[in-house]
Amino acid sequence: MFKFTNYILKTLWRHRSRTVLTVSGSAVALFVFCFVGAVQEGMNDLQKRQAAKGSLIVFQANKFCPATSHLPQDYDQQLARVPGVREVIPIQVFTNNCRASLDVIVFYGVPPEKLRKARDFELLSGSWSEFEGHQDSAVVGRAVANRRDIQVGDKFSIGDLSVNVAGIYSSDDPAEENYIYSHLDFLQRSKGMNLVGTVTQLEVLLDAGIDPMAKSAEIDEIFKSGSVETDTRPKGVFQAKSLGDLVQLITMAHYLGFACVGLVLSLVATTTVMSVQDRIKEHAVLQTLGFSGPRIFGFVLAESILLSVAGGTIGVAVATIVLHLSSLSVGAEAVTIAFTPSIRLAVVGVVVSLIAGTLAGIAPAIHASRTEIVPALRQS
Amino acid sequence: MALVEIRDVTKHYHKGGETIKPLDGVTLDIEEGEFLSLMGASGTGKSTLLNMIAGIDTPDFGSISVAGTNIVGLSRTRLANWRATNIGYIFQTHNLIPVLTAYENIELPLLLLPMSRSERRKRVEIALQAVDLLDRADHYPRQLSGGQEQRVGIARAIVAHPKVVVADEPTGDLDPETSKQVLDLLRRLNQELNITLLMVTHDTDAAAVADRQFYLDRGLLKEAVSS
Repeated sequence: MFKFTNYILKTLWRHRSRTVLTVSGSAVALFVFCFVGAVQEGMNDLQKRQAAKGSLIVFQANKFCPATSHLPQDYDQQLARVPGVREVIPIQVFTNNCRASLDVIVFYGVPPEKLRKARDFELLSGSWSEFEGHQDSAVVGRAVANRRDIQVGDKFSIGDLSVNVAGIYSSDDPAEENYIYSHLDFLQRSKGMNLVGTVTQLEVLLDAGIDPMAKSAEIDEIFKSGSVETDTRPKGVFQAKSLGDLVQLITMAHYLGFACVGLVLSLVATTTVMSVQDRIKEHAVLQTLGFSGPRIFGFVLAESILLSVAGGTIGVAVATIVLHLSSLSVGAEAVTIAFTPSIRLAVVGVVVSLIAGTLAGIAPAIHASRTEIVPALRQS
Repeated sequence: MALVEIRDVTKHYHKGGETIKPLDGVTLDIEEGEFLSLMGASGTGKSTLLNMIAGIDTPDFGSISVAGTNIVGLSRTRLANWRATNIGYIFQTHNLIPVLTAYENIELPLLLLPMSRSERRKRVEIALQAVDLLDRADHYPRQLSGGQEQRVGIARAIVAHPKVVVADEPTGDLDPETSKQVLDLLRRLNQELNITLLMVTHDTDAAAVADRQFYLDRGLLKEAVSS
C-alpha cells in the first residue's frame, strides 16, 4: 500500500483549499474535544488522588461557601485524639470568588510547619525558610504563578489581602498547583477578617486502612453536641460536592465532545464524498489499468483517514500545548480542577480522529470501489 | 491456438422498449503479434467488443479467451488482477491522472506487479524512450500537448508488457498530423516489440495501418478485403 502513498497524497493536494479547510475543521473540533476532555481528566484525577490519600475534610454543617464556615480551631486537638487520625491541619480559606470561575484565586492558610508534612510540594524557586520565617509570606502554585505572572519576591494582592511570594511550588497533583498557601495566623488576622480562633475547615489525615466513611460519621458524632456542628466527608467527596454545579456542566460538556466527533465525521465524509464524485471517471480508469475494487476502496479510505488524522493530530497537539502553557483551571467554592493535558488524552484524541476518519470514509469508499467502469469512462 | 479467441459473443440491451443487439454471435481469433483494426458506425458495438476483450464489459452469451484464460465469469477482483498483467488500454481521451507526472502515470500499472523500484524505473524509462518522451518525464498532463498526452497513454499501456493492447479510437481527439505520428508509433511498437494490438477507429486511413481490418455491421463482424 505504501507504493501508492504518492498518489494518495497528491490526490489530497489536488483540491488544496478543500483539503486545508477540512483539516482545519477537524483540527478545531479535536481542539475542543481535547479541551473538554482535559477538564474531565482534571476532575477524574482530583477524585482519584483524594480517594487514594485517605484524608477527610471537616466543614461546618449546612454551610457551603468557605466564607461561611467557621469551626473552632481547637477542634483540631479533639480530632488528633481520635483513633486512626494521623494528622490534623487547620485551614483558613480565602477566595476571591465563591462561584464557578476560570480564574479563581484560593488562599489556604495553614500552620507553616505542617504544610510540608501534609503536601508533596517541590519548590521550583524561592525557599521554605523564607516562607516559614515570615508571617506575611506565601508559596504559590505553579499554575497560578504562570497565569498571573507571579515571581518570587513579588507582592501579590487580592482585595485587601497582600502576601509576599516566598516560593513557587510544583506538585504531582495538578489541582494543588492552583492554590496559594500562606500562614494560618496571617490569614486569620488579615485586614477585614477577625477570625482568630476559628478556621474554615480541618483536614484530617488518616492512618492506612481506616475506613474514611466510618471515620467521617464518627467525627460528626463527636461534634454533634459541640458549639458548632460539623459535616465531615472524604476529601474527594467534599470536593465533588463543592464542585457540584460544575460537575453537571462538565458532564454536559461531554456531549460537546461527542458533537465534535460528529462534526469531524460529517466534515470528512462530505469532503470524501465530493472527492469521489469528482473522480468517478478516474476510478474507472484505474480499474481499467488493473486496480481492483478493494484497492480503490483502500485508497479512498486512506484519504479519509489521512484528512481526519492530520486535522486531529494538529488539533490535539495545539490543545496540548495551549493547555500546558496556559495552566488553566476552573473552580468553585475554593476547590479547583486543573485542565489536565495528558498523553492518554492525546492518544484518545488521535484514535477518535482515526475512527471518525474510518467511519466517514467507508460509504464513499464502497461507492468508489463499485464504480461501473464502462458508463464511468463515457463521462466527459 | 490463437492468443485471443472470441466465440459466439452476443450482447444486447434495451432502449425505449426496443431490443438492440450490437453484437450478434461474433467470433474472432487474434494471433500473437497481430495488429487488427475494427471499424463501424457509431453504436455498432465495436467499443463494446474491445471492452469485452479488455475485461471491462461482459457478453450476454459466448466466450472470450485470452492466452488460455476464459475471462467470462471471472469476478470483478479477479478480472482486475487479470487486466493488470494481460491488458494494456489506450483511451481516446488519454485519461491520464492529472496529479501525476508523465513518469508517474506510466509507472501506475507497474505498482500492481511484484517489482522492485529500480526495475520499475528501468521499465518506465524504456517505455518513455519508446514513445520518445524521455525529456517530458517530469511534466504533468496539463503541460503536455494532446499528442504527447496520447504517447504517455501508449507508454502506460505497454509498460507492463501486456499480452494484448487495445486502443479505443486513439487518434479520435488528435489533429491529422499528430494522428499520423501516433499511428506510426503504434505500427512501430507492433513490429519492433511484437505487441498484439486491437484498435477501434472511425478513420479508414487509420484502420489501414493494421494487418487485418474488420468492421461491424448490424451485429455481425466482417473482415474487410483489401482491394
